Amino acid sequence: MSDTAPSASSLGLTEKLEWLARPGATALVVSGLITVFAPLILTVYVSFFDDKVIVFPPQGYSLAWYGSSIPQFISPLLTSLKLALLAGGLSLLFGVPAGIALSRYRNRGTQGIGTLLLAPLTIPGIAIGLAIYVFAITVELRTELPLAGSMALLVLAHVLITIPWVIRICLASLTNHDRVTEEAAASLGASPPRVIWRVTLPAMRNGIVASGFFAFIISFENLEISLFLVSPGMSTLPIAILQYLEYRLDPLIAAISVLQIVGIGAILFALGNFANLGRVAR
Amino acid sequence: MTLAAATPLPSDRREKGHLAAASALLTPATAVVAVMLVAPLLLLLRMSFNRFDPTKLMVEAATAENYTRFFGDAYYTDVMITTVVVALSSTAFCLLFGFPIAYRLARWQSRWKNAVMLLMVLPLFVSSTVRSIGWMVLFSHGGVINLAATSLGLGTMTLMQTTTGVIIGIISINLPYMILTLQSVVEGIDENLEQAAESLGAAPARAFWRIVWPMALPGTMIAAVLCFILAMNAFATPVLIGGPRFHMMAPLLYWEFTANNNWPFASALALILMTTTLVMTVLANKLILGRQARA
Repeated sequence: MSDTAPSASSLGLTEKLEWLARPGATALVVSGLITVFAPLILTVYVSFFDDKVIVFPPQGYSLAWYGSSIPQFISPLLTSLKLALLAGGLSLLFGVPAGIALSRYRNRGTQGIGTLLLAPLTIPGIAIGLAIYVFAITVELRTELPLAGSMALLVLAHVLITIPWVIRICLASLTNHDRVTEEAAASLGASPPRVIWRVTLPAMRNGIVASGFFAFIISFENLEISLFLVSPGMSTLPIAILQYLEYRLDPLIAAISVLQIVGIGAILFALGNFANLGRVAR
Repeated sequence: MTLAAATPLPSDRREKGHLAAASALLTPATAVVAVMLVAPLLLLLRMSFNRFDPTKLMVEAATAENYTRFFGDAYYTDVMITTVVVALSSTAFCLLFGFPIAYRLARWQSRWKNAVMLLMVLPLFVSSTVRSIGWMVLFSHGGVINLAATSLGLGTMTLMQTTTGVIIGIISINLPYMILTLQSVVEGIDENLEQAAESLGAAPARAFWRIVWPMALPGTMIAAVLCFILAMNAFATPVLIGGPRFHMMAPLLYWEFTANNNWPFASALALILMTTTLVMTVLANKLILGRQARA
């Protein structure tokens, strides 16, 4: 009995704190959600404004900006699509085998290579962009290969930053993969490449589809690295949007942005069936 | 005895096969990273010791003057201080907002959960340029916040070209990373442990601080370090919300490269930014996780 008396009074205090903490936590939850979603919702709202100058309240609403935004940005949009398709495809070609090797053979050597292959995720994009540009110019001066400003270099730079995503998703898709089927195929006489082609790759099909789309999105959205590597007159969609926003803010730029958000949302929604999105994004 | 020595051990042969297969599978990706990242970064390091010349642009040298110029000039050290302050405060707010959201999301059971998770993932894949537009509409002179402030008689209030505005913009971009990482951390903590603590008489708040928080700390550190790195390297948000007179490291580097053509100094800036970020994350890990290990 003597034990319960002090603990009961302290419980009274913590209950009071609890009573205060719950609405406090709810306020934090609400503020956090507003900070993430308010700008996106506002962009959608503004894209329907009739007037070219954004004023509140708007004079009227229209869908006209959606019609005129795509022709205005068609050239950077096509460049970004081409770039993202090439980079996505190539990073599958390089990243999927690496993912298989990293999941199969675990030792100190492969762990070191794994860290190296994931390094592009943690190095600032602006430093990667500068380094690749400077490197390309240096090689160009020695060999006279036209590297700087070429589409090939831009694609390779995007492959560099999309490979870590492909590897991570492939590793995740192989965590529950049972090697027994591979050993069975090998013991029945299948050559190692045939085992990969007929057993391993089909088993990781969902992961490959998901990582291809993620590589596409990461490349499509990249700004910092492309900034250093585009040639004069060439532009990607994120660069074009940045340059437009430095001078103007109007419903047109909101409309092209909303189209982009909707496109990415559609891809992610479709991918929901293929991969655990929350896990992939981490 | 002789038999064992004559035929190579099967495991030995298998090792060799593994080595060949692993290198065949890993070489293409490793080659891309070596040529496109390792070699360029090494060149950048070498270039940061070159000398800038207004007419010849870059002169081969072995001088530390780009580094002494950075650390000797208050203008540049102020840019670094601004960058660190913005990164630290945005990370602190991401933790403050992110933990309650992640906790509730992790303990939430609903058929809508997948849809809500999708909504959390979506902003991560929308470029920071696009995500700044909404804030520009809110913050600008004719924007929503200014209109609300003037109609309430608070005078003009614009967050464009202010540090606060940039911090809000960066919180908005980094918060989903924090939420998704912490959500998985909390989901990994058995809910029964909390219930056990509560059934033994601990109030929910006490159960949280004594059970959940210590278990979540290592994962929380990973999420905080990620947010900090992203904020240190932020480019589009400081350019668009901060404007031309607000300086953080990444825009400064780009400006030195494009406007001044000063490659050696831009290279030094890149290395200073990367080193500062690395040192701060290592120190934070040592301090916070080291203390927990001793406790």
